[in-house]
Amino acid sequence: MDSEIVFLFLQQGIASGLVTGSVYALLALALVIVFRTTDVANFAEGEFYMAAAYLAFFLIALVGLPIWIAAPAMVVAIAAAAGLFQRVVLRRVAAARGVSVNLVIATLGLSYVLKGFVRATGFGDTPRSFPSVVPEGSITLGHASLSYLDLAILGAALAVMAAFFAIFNLTRTGRAMRAVGMNRRAAQLVGIHLGRTERLVWIFAGGISAIAAILIAPKLLMTAEMGGVVTLAFAAAIVGGFASLPGAVIGGFIIGIAENLVGLFVSTRAITVAPFVIIMLVLIFKPQGLFGGRLRVRKV
Amino acid sequence: MSKHSLCRIALAVGALAGLAAPARADEPGLTPTTIKIGMFGPLSGASMAYGFDVMNAARMYYDKINKDGGIHGRKIEIVQEDDRCNANDVVAAVKKLVEQDGVFLLNGGSCSAPVVAAKDYVVRSGVPWVMLNASGDGALYPPQPNIYGAFSISQRAMGGSVVEFASKELKAKKIAYINHDDAYGAWNLEGARFQAKDNGVTLVPEAVSPAITDVTAPVLKMRASGADALVIATYARPAQLILKKAQELGFNKPIVIAVNAIANLKQLSENVGSKEAFRNVYIEEVLAAKPGSEKLAWIYDLYKANYPNLAGKPDHPQVYMPYGIPSAMTVVRALQAAGPSPTRAKVIEALDRTDFDSGVMAGPIVLTKAEHAAQKSSTYFKFDGEGLTAVPGSFASRWTYQGQ
Repeated sequence: MDSEIVFLFLQQGIASGLVTGSVYALLALALVIVFRTTDVANFAEGEFYMAAAYLAFFLIALVGLPIWIAAPAMVVAIAAAAGLFQRVVLRRVAAARGVSVNLVIATLGLSYVLKGFVRATGFGDTPRSFPSVVPEGSITLGHASLSYLDLAILGAALAVMAAFFAIFNLTRTGRAMRAVGMNRRAAQLVGIHLGRTERLVWIFAGGISAIAAILIAPKLLMTAEMGGVVTLAFAAAIVGGFASLPGAVIGGFIIGIAENLVGLFVSTRAITVAPFVIIMLVLIFKPQGLFGGRLRVRKV
Repeated sequence: MSKHSLCRIALAVGALAGLAAPARADEPGLTPTTIKIGMFGPLSGASMAYGFDVMNAARMYYDKINKDGGIHGRKIEIVQEDDRCNANDVVAAVKKLVEQDGVFLLNGGSCSAPVVAAKDYVVRSGVPWVMLNASGDGALYPPQPNIYGAFSISQRAMGGSVVEFASKELKAKKIAYINHDDAYGAWNLEGARFQAKDNGVTLVPEAVSPAITDVTAPVLKMRASGADALVIATYARPAQLILKKAQELGFNKPIVIAVNAIANLKQLSENVGSKEAFRNVYIEEVLAAKPGSEKLAWIYDLYKANYPNLAGKPDHPQVYMPYGIPSAMTVVRALQAAGPSPTRAKVIEALDRTDFDSGVMAGPIVLTKAEHAAQKSSTYFKFDGEGLTAVPGSFASRWTYQGQ
C-alpha cells in the first residue's frame, strides 16, 4: 500500500468515522444520562430512535408537513412518549419493589412493542429514506471528502451535545439530575423531587434519540431493525465509561473511527467485530472505561 | 345377521383398512379429486417483499390450471404457511405442512439462507420440495434426492452471470465485488470467482455485514483498487448505502447491482436520492424481458384478475412477483408427467427430467439427477433512476458443482 493510499484511508476513515461516530455518541449520551440518574440500562433506546425516524417520515413524506414544523414536532412527541413511559410503566414497576432487572426488562418489552408497531403500519418492511434538507454536494479536506449532509450531521450533533452539557452542568435542573445520580436519598432530603427528575431525564433521552434519528435517517436509511445501532452506542458508553457523559461522546467517536480504520487497514469483514474487540481491551485494561474515573470497591 | 357374522365382517373391513393404510401413508395429500400442495414463504416481516407476491403468483398459476381442468382430473389444493424468512419458522412451517396437513409435495421458500434449515428434515421425510424463488444453494449443493430450487437463479449462478456481464459487456478487466460476509455471500462469490478465472479477469472482493451502517471502508477500498467496474451483490439496504457512498466518494466506473438488491426499484431510486448516482448503473434481472413488458403481460394481467384489491395498492405487484410462475410451472409439468396415479417417487423422477423454456425467466429451466438448480442466466438493464433500457442478450453462469 503506497503512502498516498495510506493518507487517503486515514483521512477519509477518520472524517467519515467522526460523522457516524457522532450518531453513536448521541445515542450513548442518551443511554448514559438515563443510567447515571436511574440505574436503568435502556434497551429501548434504539427503538426510540427508530420510532422517531418513522414518525418524521410519516409527518414529512406522508402528511406533507415542512421539515421545520415536522422535526420539532417529532422531537417533542418522542420526548413526551419517553416521559410517559417512565411515568406509566417504569414508576409502577419500581413501585412494585421488584428487583432492578425488572426495569431493564420493561425497556426490553418497550423495544419489542415499538418494533411491532412500526411493522404493523406496513412501512417498516422496506428500507426508506426521507428527503434531506441539506443540498447535494461535498467539500474536500485534504484527501477526505465529506458531503454537506455529513457536515450538517456532525455540526448538529456537536451542538446538541454542547447544549446538553450546558444544561447538565450549569442549570438547576441539570444539577438536580446529577444529584439524583450521585445519591438519591441525599438528593431527596435536599428537596429534589425524584420522580420528576427521573421523568425529565427520560424526556431528555427521548429528545436526544429523536434528534439523532432526524440527523441520520436521510443518510443511513430506515428499517424496523435500525435500532440495532444501539449496540454500538452501548459499546461507545462502555469504552468511554458508563458513568461519564464526555466519555460516552468520545467513546462514540472512537467506535465510529475504529470501524472505518479497521475496515480499511485490516478487513471489511472485521468492521462489525472491531467495537467488541475494543470493548474487551478496555474491560481488560481499564474496566471502568476510558473516562470512568477511579475504580471503586464497595464492601457488602 | 348373526353376531358371529357381524364380527367376521368387522374383521374383514379392519383387514382391508389395514391393507389400504400403508398405501395412503405412502402417498399422503392425494385424493381421487385433489392434490394437496404445501406452500410457504414470507407473508409478513422484514423480508416480505422477497416472497409475498411470489407466492401469490404461484397460487394464481395453480388456480389457472384448476380452471383448465386440473391435472389428470385432480384439482390442486393449496395449504399456505407464513415463514417470515426466518429459519425456525421455515422448519416449523414445513413440519406442519408435512405432518399435520399431509401435503403431497412442497412448493415454498423465498429466502436462501433460512430455507437451508429445512433441508435435513425434508430429505428424511422424502417429500418432493420445489422451492419458490429462493436460490437455496445450501440445500441444492450437494444435490439432495428430493430438493429442487433456484428457479429465479442460484447464488453461484448469480455471481457467475454478473461477472460474465461485467467482463463481456462492460469490458472490465478488474472487477470490484462487494458481497455479504455470510454463507449467502460465499455462495455467490464462489460463482463469481470461477467465472472471473474462466474469463481471465481479476476479481477484487470485499465482504461486508448485512447490518453494516458505515460503508466508507468497502467503497473507498474498491475505488482505490482501480477496478473498471463495481458489482454490488448485497441485499437492498447495504446496496443503496454503497451506491450513495460511491457517488459521494467520486467512484465513476460502471456499477452493476445484483438481482437480490432490487426488491423495489422506485424505492432504490428514492433512497439513493441523487440522479447523479445513477449515471452509470446497470441492474441484473432474471426475467426474460423487462418487468411489465408485452412478453410478460399475461402474468401481470393474471395478477390483476386474481388479486384486484392488491393490484390497486401501491408497490403491488412486487418486483419479484413473476418468479413464482416457473416454479409452479415445474410442479405442474412434473405432476402431469407422473401420470394419473402419481407417487412422490414418480414426481421426483419427472422433476429430474425437466427441461423447458418458461418464457418467463432469462434462461431455460433445466433439472437433472445431478443438477437441482434450475436457472442460470440473467438479463441486464441500464437504470437511470427512472427508466430501464435493456442490454441485448442474456448472460449465463458456467459454474458447475464438482462434488466439493
